[in-house]
Amino acid sequence: MSALAFELKGKPDQRLDLSQLIPERLKDLKAKDIERLAIGSTRVPLTVGDVFKVKGNEASDLRFVGTDGRCDKIGAGLKDGTIIVDGDVGAYLGAGMKRGRIEVKGNAGVLAAASMAGGSIAVSGNVDERAGGILVGETMGMKGGVLTIGGDAGPMVGERMRRGLVIVEGNAGDYAGGRMIAGTILFKRKVGRGAGYGLRRGSLIFVEEPNELLPTFGDCGVMEFDYLQLLEHWLRETGKRISLGDRARRLMGDMSVLGKGEMLILA
Amino acid sequence: MADLKLKGVTIVETFAEAFPMVGTRIIITAPSQEWALIAARTMTGFATSVIACGAEAGIERTLSPDETMDGRPGVAVLLFTMDSDKLQRQLRNRVGQCVLTSPGSACFAGLEGEKKLKLGASLRFFGDGWQMSKLVGGRRFWRIPVMDGEFLCEATTGLTKKAVGGGNLLVLGKTHAAVLAASERAVKAIAEIEGVITPFPGGIVRSGSKVGSKYKGQIASTNDAYCPTLKAAVKTDLPFDVEAVMEIVIDGLTKESIARAMHAGIHAIAEGGAKQGITHITAGNYGGNLGPHHFHLKEIVA
Repeated sequence: MSALAFELKGKPDQRLDLSQLIPERLKDLKAKDIERLAIGSTRVPLTVGDVFKVKGNEASDLRFVGTDGRCDKIGAGLKDGTIIVDGDVGAYLGAGMKRGRIEVKGNAGVLAAASMAGGSIAVSGNVDERAGGILVGETMGMKGGVLTIGGDAGPMVGERMRRGLVIVEGNAGDYAGGRMIAGTILFKRKVGRGAGYGLRRGSLIFVEEPNELLPTFGDCGVMEFDYLQLLEHWLRETGKRISLGDRARRLMGDMSVLGKGEMLILA
Repeated sequence: MADLKLKGVTIVETFAEAFPMVGTRIIITAPSQEWALIAARTMTGFATSVIACGAEAGIERTLSPDETMDGRPGVAVLLFTMDSDKLQRQLRNRVGQCVLTSPGSACFAGLEGEKKLKLGASLRFFGDGWQMSKLVGGRRFWRIPVMDGEFLCEATTGLTKKAVGGGNLLVLGKTHAAVLAASERAVKAIAEIEGVITPFPGGIVRSGSKVGSKYKGQIASTNDAYCPTLKAAVKTDLPFDVEAVMEIVIDGLTKESIARAMHAGIHAIAEGGAKQGITHITAGNYGGNLGPHHFHLKEIVA
């Protein structure tokens, strides 16, 4: 058994809705049936066979090769299995996924990991706005799991997030962690304006001090946090190279809402 | 009776009778090994016997920083009671009064267990609304604000109903000093075994008990058959030249761990041979009708 691979034949002339290409949907289908699945998003019909060369047969281990920013909803609603993408992806990467693992060797579009409930997503490049944010019609953003962004994150990363962990290795845009209900976001580099806007609960951990802090956050000063050591230890166990130490400056907020959230700026 | 001899020490052909218990393990960490031990010793103090302490508890072993979840030095503690409700109450009270209060401490689950006991899930209320819950690697932790920063405590720990209490060895010898030294050796050897504790002072009991008493309301009283001062007055189990008897009581998470601990204990006691003043190694039982676990010394010693 080899991984079931979808290789993009050429640049598609419409956006693709690839939400059907998940193990749960593909596991009982024959290659012919998979090629007949409709993935278009316009009135011009389009099937898997029209745009992808399909190889392999192991539906729990999916590969996408040569994809670009028009390939939307890869791994959306994923419940199990692994998806590895060699290329860029469009909007809604892993949106609402529950379990499983997605790895993207490229950039991702808007709303990556939006309202995801579990599992893990790792994007080696940049992600557009609202990664880990909130899907239309949902009441909460990311509800669990781990999202790792190797590059930069667009504005409003983790918007309305409820649970889970987001790691931003590069810079993050404006309003990072905006309206967050709970959960954790770890920023390894700079963030834009308004980080933590409307934060109710939850933790924003900054390796570098943000350029500007919202005035609605109250400073508690620097102290030790065993929690940081616990987090560092676990991240290292999962293969992430990171050093958090055990001291941080704690700011509580956003006091304009519940105010039980925190910013931990590593000291 | 063809008793077995080990380096001249008689291994009496009898068995230790042990009882089912419920047990749990927690990991306490602290800024230093010393403070982890202080918290652990405080938590396991006054926990020698369920007869009047409510629980039996002890330190299983110390843990190096690379063995703990937060990379700090730690101690593994075992806690046993006769039923789950009592274990929950004892765990909450002991961790709440002795670990939460100890400077720089944190507390983690040490057992997967078939069922869960609340740990931070009940202690979090100390935070008066300022506590924060964090999920790390699928495990839930509570961060409770305290005067030296935060008390980090895992929400739950596992419980096992397969625990066994009351594994025991009785050491008989010609002098008090010899019996004490041999018992100390046994406790040290047992400390190396995973999943067991010896809950009594220094791991050794000098006042083994029998069930009942001549006095109304006294549920346990001195084990007169093993009291050297009463040899002439009671139906004694002691040879005439035995001056002192000490008992090592072992509680474990599994019956296999008790057997391993008793094996290590017997060999440590007999280490110096009979010439060091130890005459017999035996074990306590109630005729075999009370406890379902019987550890026959003859099988254990092999």
